[in-house]
Amino acid sequence: MRAFHRPLLLALTALTFSAAAFAGEIRIGLAEALTGPASQYGVPIRNGFLLAQEEINAKGGIDGNRIVLVEEDERGKKEEAINVYKKLIFQDKVLMVFGPTLSNSMFAAGPIANMARVVAFGTSNTASGITDIGPYIFRSSPMEADVVPVTLKAAMKHLGLHKVGIIYGNDDAFTKSGYDVFRQALQAQHIDVVDTETYSKGDVDFKAQLTKIKAQSPDAIVCPCLSEEGANILIQARALGIKAPFIGGNGFNTPKLLENAKTAAEGTIVGSPWFDGNPSTANQHFIAAYRKKYGADPNQFSAQGYDALFIVAEAIKKIHLTGQTDRDRQALRDALPSVQFAGATGHFAFRPAPQHGGKTGGYDADQPPFVYIVKNGKFALLK
Amino acid sequence: MDWSSWWETYSTLVLSIGVYGMLALSIYLTLSCGLLSLANAAFMGIGAYVSAIITLQYEWPFAVALLLGTAAPATVALLVGIPVLRLSGVYLAMATLGFGEVVRVVLLNLDITGGPLGLNGIPPLTSGWHVLLALACTIALLQAMRRSRIGRAFEAIREDETAARLMGIATDRVKLLAFVLGAAIAGLAGGLNAHYTFTLSPGNFGFENAVDILTMAVLGGIQGLLGPLLGGAILTLLPELLRGLQEFRMAANGLILIVVVLFLPHGLWDPGRFRRWLKK
Amino acid sequence: MFAQQVVNAISLGSVYALFALGFTLVFGILGVINLSHGGIFMLGAYAALFLITRFEIPFWTALPLAMLAAGLLGLLIDVLVLRVLRKREAPHLMPMIATIGAAILMTSLSQGFFGSETRRFPLELFDQESFSWGPLTIPVLQAGITALSVLLMLLMIWVLRRTRLGQALRAVSESPKAAALLGIPVERLFHLTSFAAAALGGAAGILIGLSFDAISPFMGQPMLHKGIAAIILGGLGDVRGAVLGGLFLGVAEVFAVTFLSSEYRDALSFGLLFLVLLWRPQGLFGASATRSA
Repeated sequence: MRAFHRPLLLALTALTFSAAAFAGEIRIGLAEALTGPASQYGVPIRNGFLLAQEEINAKGGIDGNRIVLVEEDERGKKEEAINVYKKLIFQDKVLMVFGPTLSNSMFAAGPIANMARVVAFGTSNTASGITDIGPYIFRSSPMEADVVPVTLKAAMKHLGLHKVGIIYGNDDAFTKSGYDVFRQALQAQHIDVVDTETYSKGDVDFKAQLTKIKAQSPDAIVCPCLSEEGANILIQARALGIKAPFIGGNGFNTPKLLENAKTAAEGTIVGSPWFDGNPSTANQHFIAAYRKKYGADPNQFSAQGYDALFIVAEAIKKIHLTGQTDRDRQALRDALPSVQFAGATGHFAFRPAPQHGGKTGGYDADQPPFVYIVKNGKFALLK
Repeated sequence: MDWSSWWETYSTLVLSIGVYGMLALSIYLTLSCGLLSLANAAFMGIGAYVSAIITLQYEWPFAVALLLGTAAPATVALLVGIPVLRLSGVYLAMATLGFGEVVRVVLLNLDITGGPLGLNGIPPLTSGWHVLLALACTIALLQAMRRSRIGRAFEAIREDETAARLMGIATDRVKLLAFVLGAAIAGLAGGLNAHYTFTLSPGNFGFENAVDILTMAVLGGIQGLLGPLLGGAILTLLPELLRGLQEFRMAANGLILIVVVLFLPHGLWDPGRFRRWLKK
Repeated sequence: MFAQQVVNAISLGSVYALFALGFTLVFGILGVINLSHGGIFMLGAYAALFLITRFEIPFWTALPLAMLAAGLLGLLIDVLVLRVLRKREAPHLMPMIATIGAAILMTSLSQGFFGSETRRFPLELFDQESFSWGPLTIPVLQAGITALSVLLMLLMIWVLRRTRLGQALRAVSESPKAAALLGIPVERLFHLTSFAAAALGGAAGILIGLSFDAISPFMGQPMLHKGIAAIILGGLGDVRGAVLGGLFLGVAEVFAVTFLSSEYRDALSFGLLFLVLLWRPQGLFGASATRSA
């Protein structure tokens, strides 16, 4: 009887009092694009965060404090991002803010946080110059400028590149900055660019551009594109009889590409901060838990969101929360740069942003990327 | 919540209400002489880019930046308006839509505008009184115009352009005035907007934004100056008020457009209707 | 390469033409620019996707069903919105604004219900094969789309010119009031036109979704812009002009890529639209007198 009772009682108390069991709440802002076109990135990011929140709180939170993510939809619009940031910082008095989803929104909202001396932490902003905003700006997403040269070097070793063609979206900050980085890296590694073609968001037919690239018979085609357009570009290139392999940027790095492009994606080389085949326990646990919670495969964005909350949790563990918003915010800012963490995306550390003209910047991600190649319909590490 | 923290939280929203009120007034000008122009987002963009480039790269005073940000779109409107305003109805709407897209593509491909990355780190120069002053000047100007011969000419053209011309109104010049002045107001609003959102990209000035501005004027009504201001305020606040709706938030915008057009053809602010109510 | 680009141009142009057909029909008969055509186009694709993936209905059954659904949607918009505005003799801006609202509503609802990610038809549905002819590669599906848009255009021209229905429709497009006096059921024809145009728009969405594998709530907007350019190039309300305008736009875009640079492609299509409106508002291929209002 007693043996039966106690666990039941315990379980009951745990159920009814689980909220009260925490000493306090740590409120953290999460501003992501949950609606609008950018929600295709914002929603997986949010999902990653919510999973991490659940796991941290299930293990008793941080020093007995429950993590509460205050979610706001910034719709991928810069004014909304500013409004949401202000609401989180000045009204909800959150400890720090994650997001926004797009680099452009961070350029708008980041200065608000920086002026208010609150950490703004981007998990999906890859454009150059984000952390120039100021010392309170952090990001866990490696810049394209860090990933691309590694990708190219690996591709060169594997394929022996001499000349490449490029196709990219020229009306999007993400793909354009990807292109800029590729062009520089190609120049540095003395690879000829024989043709550069562009497309716009929402285009579905890329045959004219691809036909032009094909006429130059490049060794490979560099495609700093998002996976939606990327899959179509791959399929149409193969349909036009282009055999050259593709080299992709950050946007290619999602299982969706393989799902959509099927055999057309064979031989594609991609660099990425996250690799779903990474056998580390942290990663395999993340993938399994994500699938269980959402019934869908995670992507790079959800992995980065998931890891980011753990990174901040590590920093919070190191500080003593006083309940005074300003002091706690500053303490977090000071503790964050030295955090090191091994999560779903592998080993992670921060690196101070290069200084421009005496202005102190924030912190970029210091994380070695994975380079992989599509083989038999799967991403495999490129040795 | 005390005043200073309220202002800290909501200042951007308040500034936006003023700026979008100006934009709604800018399209009200053309609508009030019966022209549907979808170019106002593009004019706003030109004003925003010009003023931001001036403060960012030349570091000239804010007032000069705003002045040039007003003058540049007005000049463009003058050049474009002369041929385009020969068109009317849907043809004019389509031509201005095409013009807006050309402006967007040009902004995307220029170096000085930063291409798709746009301009970042624009100094935070816009404060409350700037917007208030600009809005007050706009309202004063438009109110004075409404009472003048020009205002009556607008109305005559909207009712019947041919008749207006026969009455001796220089319809071409009056329409051009509305178009150019609308562009100037939109440009000023763009310049102010750029200096409290700190970043610009060509995507901010596309078709979607042209439609947003139009929605404001249509919702508020163009029977007077209060209509566009009201429409601007409501549509700026609406996303904040409808946060709970999540994915379906934009649907409310669409529904508003349909419902207003069907059931409130004169918009929310309709003095005629109010008078009828009073008579009852 | 040149020959291949000609093939590409025709295939891209047919896509625009197919979309423009229904779009121009509504303007021709109702005198309304229906800016919700992009939304109908998108929902047609989703309807077919839904029928095929959820109910595992074969494509050739799903196509007419989805067209029916799109057509009913167009009819709904006509009955609920456009008819009311017609009754009130609202100024021509009103239907434009209302249909913009309908388009926003459709995009937002489908984003809420289907999510914002890009979907595609199951790849097994059709061979994504292309046949080669010398150095040319011609994707089978796209050759089909080209054939279909030409076929539909010919069918529509035949209906409009050679049948009694067409005669009535032409009378309505000239003057609804006069047509009503002649005993033509004007309202019914408006409904029929809206239905047929929307069904065509839905079909365009399905076929384009099928050949490019990109179905998303946002697929309508860029296509709407191209459609506007196409029907203005061809002359508003002109069925033959819509197809020619679509083809012309495709050729212009592909040749801009081939001989200039792909960066200027979009500026070219909208610049063309702009210039044609100023220079020849009746369209490049229209012979009719100027229609300035």
